[in-house]
Amino acid sequence: MTTTAPARVARRLLGPAVFVAALALWQAWAAHKDSFLVPTVTAVAERAWDVWPTSGFIDQVTATLGRFAAGYVLGAAIGVAAGLVLGSSRAARRAFEPLQEFLGSTPAIAIVPAAIVIFGLGDATRVAVIAFAVCFPVLVSTIEGVRAVSPETRDTARMLHVGPAELILRIYAPAALPSIVAGLRVALAIGLIVTVISEFVVGSGDGVGRYILVQRTLYDAPGVYGGILFLGLLGYVLNRLFVVVERRVLSWHYGAAGESAR
Amino acid sequence: MRRANLPGWLFVVLVTAVAEAGVRLFELQDSVAAPSAALRALGDGLWSGTLTGEIATTLESYLEGLAVATVVGVALGLAIGSWRMLLDALSVVIEFLRPIPAVALIPVAILFFGLGMPMRRFVVAYAAVWPILIGTLYGALGTDRVLHDVARTSGATRLGTVVRVTLPASLPSIATGIRVSAAVALQVAITAEFFIGTDGIGAYMKHERLSFHLPQLYAAILLTGALGYAINRALRTTERRVVFWVGEAPTEAP
Repeated sequence: MTTTAPARVARRLLGPAVFVAALALWQAWAAHKDSFLVPTVTAVAERAWDVWPTSGFIDQVTATLGRFAAGYVLGAAIGVAAGLVLGSSRAARRAFEPLQEFLGSTPAIAIVPAAIVIFGLGDATRVAVIAFAVCFPVLVSTIEGVRAVSPETRDTARMLHVGPAELILRIYAPAALPSIVAGLRVALAIGLIVTVISEFVVGSGDGVGRYILVQRTLYDAPGVYGGILFLGLLGYVLNRLFVVVERRVLSWHYGAAGESAR
Repeated sequence: MRRANLPGWLFVVLVTAVAEAGVRLFELQDSVAAPSAALRALGDGLWSGTLTGEIATTLESYLEGLAVATVVGVALGLAIGSWRMLLDALSVVIEFLRPIPAVALIPVAILFFGLGMPMRRFVVAYAAVWPILIGTLYGALGTDRVLHDVARTSGATRLGTVVRVTLPASLPSIATGIRVSAAVALQVAITAEFFIGTDGIGAYMKHERLSFHLPQLYAAILLTGALGYAINRALRTTERRVVFWVGEAPTEAP
């Protein structure tokens, strides 16, 4: 297939053009409908322009990011640590498997009410629930990463009398890193969803999720749509940041994979 | 088939026993339900039909939303993956809509659809459509070009090629997409019920928490976990049968 330079430019512009057309269509529809439910694009943009830079809104964002980060780090740490142990011991893995599969398929929202009874209507509950949701995908991918370590590597380590702690930290952990990072990336999206859930259903308090609910009671549709939009942007930016960090941390992995050209 | 994992189930029994002893010894009944009490409540709830009714409500919106998402996701994914023009045209719109967490749409969806089933179907479908769409899209984009060329030179139409070549070739990644969606969708379906608090297992848990019926609350949690477990298991088994040529999940990192 041959593509000329103008055709390539037209193709690259098609996506943004369709996006702008969709926004224009929404704008026309909303203006025509003139309903509280459907704010115009310009109304949402204006509200975002006015509200997003205010300290009040930035406080909500900080609260959301804070509990997300706390839950994510806690869940990821537990997932990686448990995954390294379970990955290196077949007996432990077998013993833990049914429980892990059961807990891993339990939606985080289901443990919210139990967590409220134990931790109360505050951030402790929110962080616990986020950590619960983040933990299992990281655990599974860590186990997979450790299991993928080649038998030659295991045998060599055994021959050299490498101790169990050193085996896990110096051999399994680095070898499993690409798989762990893949799990961490999946957990990023899950963690953000559960953060919003926790702000919706655990007591009152703050955060962007709570901001959406408050604006709804104030009949501020542009504010509600803006809040949702902000969460979408947040997810997008976090994912992008993750990819940048991943490229840095795993540059050796990509380099090696490229050279061996599998 | 896999053999029963005896040590695993013994471990479950052990954990349950330790929890039971812990709750009784330290008199924690005010914070957590003892496993025996939760199991008794689970039995009662299933026998009397309270829990079964709630879970049926949840399953209804969940399955319908998931079905809509599967049809839409697969159809769109195949179309976008097969026509370069569509991929170019819709890429920005998809990148814009995809990161929006479906749960954040619940308050707005209530305004549009009210508190009933349509609202739940919508948010479940919105949450579930992305993994299926993206899975199908990657499957379609990754289809062997030679297969296409063979089909085309054998006189198959464009649409015929998509249905007879691209669709079967994309099935493994479609299956993965559905499995991911199934988990997210359950989360969203229950959250919506929890949020509006009228019916469904989510609303039931909310009310049992408020009235401090811990055994009933834990019974609902156990049932939800069992449901998630059963769905996950059923999808994995179906996946192994339908896309049998892929084999077991890869053990070697890519």
